[in-house]
Amino acid sequence: MNLALPKEMIPYMAQPKAMPVGTPGKTGYLRLGFELDAEGRSILRDWERHAPLIVQQALYFDEELPLMPCVYILSSGGPNVDGDRYKQHITLRPGAMAHLSTGAATKLAEMRYNFSSMDQYLDLEEDSYLEYLPEPTIPCRHTRFLSRTSIRIAPSATLFYSEIYMSGRKYFDRGERFLYDILSVTTRAERFDARPLFREKFVIRPADLSPESLGAMNGYDVFANVIVLTPRTHADRIWETTRPFLDTGQGLQAGISRLPNDCGLIYKVLGRETGPVKKLVRAFCSAVRLEVKHKPLPEEFPWR
Amino acid sequence: MTDSLSLVMHLLQFTDSAFPVGTFSFSNGLETAAFEGLVHDAPTLEQYTRDMARQAAMTDGVAALKAHACHLRGDFAGITEADRSVILCKMNAEARQMVCRMGKKLAELSIHLIPDQTLSLWLDEIRTGNTPGSYPVAQGLVFAAEGIGSEELFCSHQYGVINMVLSAALRCVRVSHFDTQRILFNLSRETPALYEQVRTMELEEMNTFTPQADILASLHEKGLQRMFMN
Repeated sequence: MNLALPKEMIPYMAQPKAMPVGTPGKTGYLRLGFELDAEGRSILRDWERHAPLIVQQALYFDEELPLMPCVYILSSGGPNVDGDRYKQHITLRPGAMAHLSTGAATKLAEMRYNFSSMDQYLDLEEDSYLEYLPEPTIPCRHTRFLSRTSIRIAPSATLFYSEIYMSGRKYFDRGERFLYDILSVTTRAERFDARPLFREKFVIRPADLSPESLGAMNGYDVFANVIVLTPRTHADRIWETTRPFLDTGQGLQAGISRLPNDCGLIYKVLGRETGPVKKLVRAFCSAVRLEVKHKPLPEEFPWR
Repeated sequence: MTDSLSLVMHLLQFTDSAFPVGTFSFSNGLETAAFEGLVHDAPTLEQYTRDMARQAAMTDGVAALKAHACHLRGDFAGITEADRSVILCKMNAEARQMVCRMGKKLAELSIHLIPDQTLSLWLDEIRTGNTPGSYPVAQGLVFAAEGIGSEELFCSHQYGVINMVLSAALRCVRVSHFDTQRILFNLSRETPALYEQVRTMELEEMNTFTPQADILASLHEKGLQRMFMN
């Protein structure tokens, strides 16, 4: 990944007056490595964490895949604030599987001087399987957020990776919709031999150009972007059975397309509220798991 | 003077919608937007076309300018990198098919008009499957080979995108020629500002945010309407 600061973030380089960039507690780091143990069970073998990013232990609570470690990533600092720099490196060794999520929505606080960032590296080796379904990201007024996700994946592995972005704190005070300063989000994938698979980048600066236009959010508040990298045979069957739809009455719509280089699928959802969007993303994840692991996703916990 | 006049003539020829690269077969998602009732009159058509013009500028427009610059300095590797970047950033199969079909056609046609070694080499690479052969890169190469400048290239590229949507609109949206020409006129005025944003962008910076258009493209891909190929 090119770690040079993208041009769009250069206006937000002032030093925060509270705690400077790089202060302990503002530089979260997480390294998670999953692999098969001697008995063939997937385990969380490598584990390094720097606050405010925290994981406790892998749990095996998925009733459909009881041998799959499930890990919740937590942030002990509350919302991401001015000058926070987070980095996550997640590796799945050959044949391993894992399910990742976050404990709660990622709140991006108001920022006055600098920005907050998340750099993620996902490495999936042969025949591995990762579901990564974090809770939604909520940008507040004057949030500046840089997200860069870099994926390396073997041709036989499967990754389900979702991101859900809200327009803001829609029901706070008089409502905050698209009042943030900037969201810059890049997701890219390549093979281990550095052959590129796809690259998607979006930069939203509502003050310069409203994202509510007809071709973009078109009046909706919640946007889910789901990447599924999987072998062609799986992708073909998932594509065949997934129905795109546009239901203005329900305030919900979804579309599926094939990614370049036959590397998988991209599924996009627009909705008015978070709940139905999350439900649709889970249903799609269940379809992917059914295809790849022959098991559905269990019902979501009622408190989630 | 004579040379500059013939350059203008060639610019018009390459930009004309009658130039046979197949633009009339594509709608840039408008067919589904109209079918679903999202684009139903002149104001909604203008919004949609503006979004498509911006999307094209921030992705294909960057690649076209890069290919143009690479041709001028003899950087063939840079040309193929621009070509691959166009495809890497296209999240929809029909959009990739569109740029590849039109790109190859433009290269095949232009080679008969302009004897240019780089263009010829690039066409060979397309035929052997070593490079995708995208339309914006073809435009960049043809314009560089003919000696037409980067500003004119960008305008021609944007004009092509806007005109593609508006021509399709006359066949699937209840709008008149007056409406489409007014929209074209308005959006043409916005092109210089887009060029200012795009002209210094690197391939890595190509970006687009059009989830609604992406979902429409998906509906078209799996749907039954086929007046246009996207």
